[in-house]
Amino acid sequence: MDPKLTEVSQYFERFKAACVREDIDTSANLLSQLKVLLTSFRSLPPLFEVTPNAVQELTIARDIYEHAVLLSVKMGDQDAFERDFFQLKPYYTDARKRLPRSPQEHMILGLNLLRLLVQNRIAEFHTELELLPAESLEDPCIKHAVELEQSFMEGAYNRVLTAKQTVPNQSYDYFMDLLAKTVRDEIAGCSEKAYDFLSINDARQMLLFSSDNELLKYINEEHPEWEIKDGSVIFQKAKETAPCKEIPSLQLINQTLSYARELERIV
Amino acid sequence: MSTAPAQDVEMKETPAPVAASSNSATSAAPSALQHLKEIASLIETGAYAREVRRIARAIRLTMALRRKLKTSVVSAFLNFALTPGSEPHARLSSYLPKEDDHEMEVDTATSVVQAPVKHSLPELEIFSYLLVLIFLIDQKKYSEAKACSSASIARLKNINRRTVDVLASRLYFYYSLSYEHTGDLAEIRGNLLALHQIATLRHDELGQETLLNLLLRNYLHYNLYDQAEKLRSKAPRFEAHSNQQFCRYLFYLGKIRTIQLEYTDAKESLLQAARKAPIAALGFRIQCTKWAVIVRLLLGEIPERTVFMQKGMETALRPYFELTNAVRIGDLELFKSVAEKFSATFSVDRTHNLIVRLRHNVIRTGLRNISISYSRISLADVAKKLRLDSPNPVADAESIVSKAIRDGAIDATIDHAKGWMVSKETGDIYSTNEPQMAFNSRIAFCLNMHNEAVRALRFPPNSHKEKEIAEKRRERQQQEQELAKHIAEEDDDEF
Repeated sequence: MDPKLTEVSQYFERFKAACVREDIDTSANLLSQLKVLLTSFRSLPPLFEVTPNAVQELTIARDIYEHAVLLSVKMGDQDAFERDFFQLKPYYTDARKRLPRSPQEHMILGLNLLRLLVQNRIAEFHTELELLPAESLEDPCIKHAVELEQSFMEGAYNRVLTAKQTVPNQSYDYFMDLLAKTVRDEIAGCSEKAYDFLSINDARQMLLFSSDNELLKYINEEHPEWEIKDGSVIFQKAKETAPCKEIPSLQLINQTLSYARELERIV
Repeated sequence: MSTAPAQDVEMKETPAPVAASSNSATSAAPSALQHLKEIASLIETGAYAREVRRIARAIRLTMALRRKLKTSVVSAFLNFALTPGSEPHARLSSYLPKEDDHEMEVDTATSVVQAPVKHSLPELEIFSYLLVLIFLIDQKKYSEAKACSSASIARLKNINRRTVDVLASRLYFYYSLSYEHTGDLAEIRGNLLALHQIATLRHDELGQETLLNLLLRNYLHYNLYDQAEKLRSKAPRFEAHSNQQFCRYLFYLGKIRTIQLEYTDAKESLLQAARKAPIAALGFRIQCTKWAVIVRLLLGEIPERTVFMQKGMETALRPYFELTNAVRIGDLELFKSVAEKFSATFSVDRTHNLIVRLRHNVIRTGLRNISISYSRISLADVAKKLRLDSPNPVADAESIVSKAIRDGAIDATIDHAKGWMVSKETGDIYSTNEPQMAFNSRIAFCLNMHNEAVRALRFPPNSHKEKEIAEKRRERQQQEQELAKHIAEEDDDEF
């Protein structure tokens, strides 16, 4: 086998061992070394040259990037995830014809969708979704992410939280935790507008705190405008402004001026 | 459109007797051949006088002849236009399928009688490429069409004349079309990008437009919305030189915007594309309408029934009509059954993912209906009416209602302890700003339309320069008449 290829495989074995041991620093070092070594292979994107070892090189490179993605989830580094995922993507899309399907492909795609959802980049979520062929949508990992997005959009937040129990894979936990936090903020925002007041027990249940103290702490930090009186939380209703008799004069003036201008232009 | 060339045929007269003596099978061929010859002479005069309009006219006349093209006609034309021994001629003839002997004889007979073959202009050569390509595509011989178009693109790279541009842009279109029919669109992406670059360098605006549209179509074919948007935002500003290209551009833009969740922009583009498209382009208008309907549903407005009842579109739009019905009623069960029933159609139209997004709208509409009808209703009843199929309907209903309140879709409050939802009184709309806003948007739209119409008035270039000789004036009037007729009939070849 090619000497460069053997060297890369050896490093890769060490990298995998370090990941299993949860040794973040060694893994990170080995990863950077591996990436430098990979630049010497000419059959990888963007060049995609056809060399005799092309298939093996592509497979190894793809595996390396997949592990890199999973490592970044363990480290909790979202930027690194994004970078590694973008480098991984051409292996899934353009190199599809040259390589056999990777078993982890759907899992990683699902992870990416989840990440976009957590970061509230819904437009990109949908764009990515369009790229997937119809049969991928049946896969449990991806289906999980799609259903999650739907529940999130509809506002059925308890469904989102129960989905936490049904994660298809360990690595999803990190994002699900982040999502739980977002959900909590959303619920708080909705409750503010929808309810006049809530008893402390109910508020605690809805916002998923395990004790009253946590609830009080949360309210103090995030929503100081909520009042706590006789065992219930009173939401500050947006001051019902007396039906304002004032006319939005600036806007009306602008509109009328524009009409006058346009009408003058009609010859 | 056929009256003008017919008059010219009577005036010329020469090969007509010979043609009349040949058998009836080929009697149609000479008149088509005659037309082609006139078109060739038109192209020549246009090339010599550097008038792009004549070449455009030549192309329009060719499109009218499309139905009558047969192998014999095409090869006879090739013999006429290109020197028979030359390289382009040999290459082009090789693409045409071999014909029967007896037709060959008639052809050689007629060609012998013809005037000596003309001097080969690059325009004529490109025109012959175009003709062969159209013929092959109409005959559904897509692999030959692919080869022919690739050869023509290679040839085009060396020619840099404005008069060729109009022909070139048609060639690009058929190039992309032939690859699309054989399913190899990804291969030509690099070529199209390079051609776009060249067209921009040469200030060939029609070419730029056409190529940008072809590239967008290429990306959208593979669902690469991200890249399509990146290209579109970086490409030079789109000046509409041709109505058909502008319509296509609007359609692709609308599609991109829909996927990116910018529904208001998408609706505008799609409706404009459907409006501007020529009446004869039925397939295109159906597609635009389908996407427009979905975008309007996603925005929360229900399209009127007349949209679905337009002439010729009823059967195609039937699934979307039923979908709209389900959304209007706000019934989740009905929505699900409709989506399943027509899922094949939706997958073909590639609107499947968008339909999935509609579920949320169905729930919203249902909620809105409930909130208007009831002043107070328990959450358990809300869950039952919405027919949410979930393990914990009341809690779900509660969170859905609270989100809807926050988004401003309904005006109500929830009483958690007693478990019901209380709707607020809707005030008198006329005392608010609402009517004024609505009027304002309509006025702005009408004024905008007026401005655009004024800007769209086209004036022919150089019309004030030449001194009119009677003959030239007659020709110009003829052209203007034809142009008016053409706009009225609305060119249907490209759709």
